[in-house]
Amino acid sequence: MTDLTGGNPLLPNIATIASIRRETGDVKTFQVVFDDPLAVQSFAHKPGQVALISVFGEGEATISITSSPTVKGFLEFSIKKVGRLTSVLHEIEAGAKVAVRGPYGNGFPLDEMKGKNLLFVGGGIGLAPLRSLIDYVLAEENRSDYGNVEILYGARSMADICFKEDLFNKWTACKDTRVYTTIDREEPEWSGHVGFVPAYLEEIKPVSNNKVAITCGPPVMIKFILMSLQRLGFTEERIITTLEMKMKCGIGKCGRCNIGSKYVCLDGPVFTLKQLKELPPEF
Amino acid sequence: MQYKVLEKDKISGFLDYLASKHNLMAPVSEDESFSQFKRVYQASEINLNYTNTVIPPKNYFFPPAENLFSFSAENGGIEIKESRQAENMVIFGLRPCDINGMSMLDPVFNGNFPDSYYGPKRERTILIGLSCQEVMPTCFCKSFGTDPTDGSGADLMLTGLENCFLVEILTDKGAGLLENAGGFFSDESVDKAISEKKLLRDKLAGAFLREPDLSGVKEILDKNFEHPYWEELAAKCIGCGICTFVCPTCHCFNMIDTSRPDATGSRYRCHDSCMFPGFTKMAGGHNPRPTRVERVRNRFMHKLKYHLDRYNLDGCSGCGRCIAKCPVNIDISQIITHIREVVKDD
Repeated sequence: MTDLTGGNPLLPNIATIASIRRETGDVKTFQVVFDDPLAVQSFAHKPGQVALISVFGEGEATISITSSPTVKGFLEFSIKKVGRLTSVLHEIEAGAKVAVRGPYGNGFPLDEMKGKNLLFVGGGIGLAPLRSLIDYVLAEENRSDYGNVEILYGARSMADICFKEDLFNKWTACKDTRVYTTIDREEPEWSGHVGFVPAYLEEIKPVSNNKVAITCGPPVMIKFILMSLQRLGFTEERIITTLEMKMKCGIGKCGRCNIGSKYVCLDGPVFTLKQLKELPPEF
Repeated sequence: MQYKVLEKDKISGFLDYLASKHNLMAPVSEDESFSQFKRVYQASEINLNYTNTVIPPKNYFFPPAENLFSFSAENGGIEIKESRQAENMVIFGLRPCDINGMSMLDPVFNGNFPDSYYGPKRERTILIGLSCQEVMPTCFCKSFGTDPTDGSGADLMLTGLENCFLVEILTDKGAGLLENAGGFFSDESVDKAISEKKLLRDKLAGAFLREPDLSGVKEILDKNFEHPYWEELAAKCIGCGICTFVCPTCHCFNMIDTSRPDATGSRYRCHDSCMFPGFTKMAGGHNPRPTRVERVRNRFMHKLKYHLDRYNLDGCSGCGRCIAKCPVNIDISQIITHIREVVKDD
């Protein structure tokens, strides 16, 4: 992005929380607008990239950018209350000042996915980084670059489903797009599929031909999804996932997010399964 | 390369001159076993015969705790004030392992996303090396391609000989410093001094008690990530992290905010260690390196493989500090030798 901070990559840009949308009991989506109009213009992210969000006096956390770069003027971050900083974020209200630096990381390989059908498989808050790419692909200006889109999403319960508006209205209404949702256990008001994501995936049996699978979710679920995708015939190069690691600097210096010789903040967070298999299993 | 000679009786005058013109950091011995780099004001404070400081000189560029910026609430907004500062500095008396250690650290901070704190300090500092006079039992810089008289990476290199110091001018910065201090140096007997330095180098090269052979070690590590040797090693480690804090090439840090009730505060960074369980533990509890086995393995892999893969530079300078300070005698020079032997036994 344009240098607004005298070239210091550790200085964040001040921003205001424009609105907060509750997704689930412990997930909120924060719409954030930079105070400096120059920053609004120059923050050019790719789907799959991350940013570091500051709450002054509390610290920073690395959060994937939920909104698509095709949507201008603001950024969205969907944040689960899981730790100290995210708990603080969940307490603050619209109008509060935060700060953002980034975008960091490699993002999804947009060009390599061109001309391919896309299968998205997400679990829980793992849909957040995928949402940026889904909205990017389904945006009018990019839609013809990509083939059919299938979205499979699972949550523990109805109350845990994130992005309900997208899943049940917006994406479902898009051309050549199918959305599958599942919850882990039966609920009286749920008429959809019940069961874990990997099992549902194998039930749906999406054809792997000319298709790229993009997946994100809790680490345990990802391991099973990766196995299912391979059973369905997806090659290691055609399976893409995003990893989460603890980060402090976001720019390859603080040494926290290494997996072997790779830094998730620079070389990731997006990896193909082929790349993952070349890394030590420390993620 | 250009050479000069500094007669032994002129070294004090030269150091006094440096102290009067520059912020001069140099080795000071606090007692028999403890030396450190410190701001000095006169030559008499400096110990030219020190072996190695406890804390590496990296701390001048990457301090243990460093304020990054301060913030304050202003009229409903937030104002950020950067805390960056870099003064001109001369560090005198650096041993070759420490100069090499800095060269290994440079690409981390000066590579992609150049660090605004480290870079300017490094840029504004003149490094003057000083050849070792003896090899300590914990030294093994030779394995990493340097030797106790090697000035690569410094601006000037001094070597103490029988009657004089040989001065090697290695960079323009070094030349500039000498230009202004010309009166202390001469061109006489340069050839003799060069020959004497060679003798010293040969003598020191034969004095190493540790000469672990690095050849092929990276390849062995590449193939033995899951080797039970790491468990054996981790069983000894107590996870105290001292190895990382005294290491001239370790660069891991944490970033922490402080705040006061009046809505002002600051963000600083401080040295951190991959030996600590919380280092990789994420919000939500998942930890990719949950036990000491993964953490110990990560440290040695980082030194002997990951840094090489990433920067094409070793991640260890052979200074021996981690060996000297480890409370349970974990020894990276032995690991280099052992890893080859345990793999052979398989």
